[in-house]
Amino acid sequence: MLALIALRNLARNRRRTALALLVVAAGAASLLLTAGFVRHSFNGLGEAFIRGGLGHLEVIPASRLSAEDGPDRVGPPAFSDWAEARRSIEAMPHVLGASGAIVLHGLVGKDERSLPFIGAGLEPDRERRMGLQVRVRGGRLLSEAPAAEGEDEALLGLGLARQLGAREGELVTLTALASDGTLNALDVRVVGLVTTGVQDLDSRFLRVQLLTAQRLLATEAVTSIIVMLDATDETRPAAAEIARQLQAHEPRVAVADWEARAPFYGQVRRLYAGIFGFLGTIVLVLVTLSSSNTLLMTVMERVREIGALLAIGTSGGQVVRMIVFEAAWLGLLGGVLGGAIGVAAMSAIHALGIQTPPPPGAVEPMELRLEILPADLLWVSVVMVLVLALAALLPALRVLRLRIAEALVHL
Amino acid sequence: MTAEALVEATGLERRYRLGRIDVPALRGVDFRLERGESVVVAGPSGSGKSTLLNLLGCLDEPDAGRVSFEGRDLSRATAAEKTRLRRRRLGFVFQSFHLIPVLSALENVDYPLLIDGVSRPIRRARAEAALAAVGLADRLGHRPDQLSGGERQRVAIARALVHDPVLVFADEPTANLDSRTGGAVVELLSKLNTERGVSFVLATHDPAIMERAARIVRLADGRIADDTTR
Repeated sequence: MLALIALRNLARNRRRTALALLVVAAGAASLLLTAGFVRHSFNGLGEAFIRGGLGHLEVIPASRLSAEDGPDRVGPPAFSDWAEARRSIEAMPHVLGASGAIVLHGLVGKDERSLPFIGAGLEPDRERRMGLQVRVRGGRLLSEAPAAEGEDEALLGLGLARQLGAREGELVTLTALASDGTLNALDVRVVGLVTTGVQDLDSRFLRVQLLTAQRLLATEAVTSIIVMLDATDETRPAAAEIARQLQAHEPRVAVADWEARAPFYGQVRRLYAGIFGFLGTIVLVLVTLSSSNTLLMTVMERVREIGALLAIGTSGGQVVRMIVFEAAWLGLLGGVLGGAIGVAAMSAIHALGIQTPPPPGAVEPMELRLEILPADLLWVSVVMVLVLALAALLPALRVLRLRIAEALVHL
Repeated sequence: MTAEALVEATGLERRYRLGRIDVPALRGVDFRLERGESVVVAGPSGSGKSTLLNLLGCLDEPDAGRVSFEGRDLSRATAAEKTRLRRRRLGFVFQSFHLIPVLSALENVDYPLLIDGVSRPIRRARAEAALAAVGLADRLGHRPDQLSGGERQRVAIARALVHDPVLVFADEPTANLDSRTGGAVVELLSKLNTERGVSFVLATHDPAIMERAARIVRLADGRIADDTTR
């Protein structure tokens, strides 16, 4: 009944209630849109890391995985007998594909010029199945068929190719430390120019077939096995299953998920969470103050009525509960309205196809996309109810200080 | 040995602050009301009628003196105990009715029972009976703004009586009513006093009420000028 009275009280001054609802709804919609933007950004960034070469999981000799620093890929490949491990991984559920991988560090030279590169050797057929492809901006992707000796191919990042003066079809020379510690060189033909979408990466990026990388490093081992799953949500269960299946493998292997191998992602996530958390707090503070003011006005207009309620035996707690209920109704209705506005705004933004400038370090503009989940509508409404209940504190305290006799003759 | 009074006040004083000036509203009032007795508190505006009712009804605290109800010294009662006393033993009728505008007549009368935790079927039955007793059985679903002044005051009386109080305070209950409606309200209060044995303390300067009163306490300048029983 107290809740019902509170709800009916909202209908007493409809214009003010409508304005208060709009404030709450605007706050709720802002939170929803921010949450949707942040989620899409985080998911997009995470998927970019995964599709950009990290894969969901990396299986690596345990001796090369440090809890603090993640995988050590600098040393010579140490994962021997890896093909059997890859076969058993590929037979597991949710695994799209698994590829042996070698991480390469060295110099790429053309004519008189040499530049450092950070490269990777993968199996092209599996790379394609796993969706690890980079975006080709000239030429073609690596051949799927194993390259014959003397026919090795490479993809160069746009920035690296530009600095080197290399075009598709031209030969470049890769130099790297082989497994035995000697310096080895290999001529490869540039078959494509690609972009990862990240400017700094493009100026160092090189991709070759796994076989080519093994030739360059004179080894049959790999650095690790990159595993791609059919859904990012499956990362943890798949990691546990792979670790269980390969527990008897020699050398002993460990499984690292993509987040553990992308410290930059964690840093960006924490930074953005801090920024948006701060903005969200400001939104909530504004909603709280504005709603508190509205609620205080409604209470001050009803001082005589509240005095009468107290006179006939309503306890201060019951009157406070009535005010909090009134605030909670505002929060709930405003939250639901804000949810509807947020979803409508998201649909409009998607329909307009708004392009945003490239984020820092990126080379291409991004389409503004938001990801609002049904659960967001629930938590935003709950947050709004709590915020409005908080906003009711000041008016409630005012009520508790009322002297009944004075309230009854309040003007 | 005298019987225990329903409500008794001794040496009641109350001052209000008006800017920098202390304005005395009551200056040492002694008052006693027996169970089942009704009294009219009369006097000009500013004589202290409402202040006396507020102090007797636990709506305000005296600056000096004390009030006891059924033998219990209320100066020692907690705020919660006073709230419970008002909710269960006292009833209030105000000049401006003070009904909850968003509730129907039935819900308004039901309200004191609701806040006392009475179950819904019992509440509804008692509220309907109280409204029937004041002649509003056909106005249960009407909101205050759909009722006339007299009907609103009768709803307020039903609300004051629904929980069977022993004492009802009515502050200028006819002031906002025309003389005919006011007369009907006075008739109703008198009938309830006679039939139910409910005590009333009525503050008024309505001659029609004073004419019917068995006891009149006249206040002047915060003091009892006269206490007459007829």
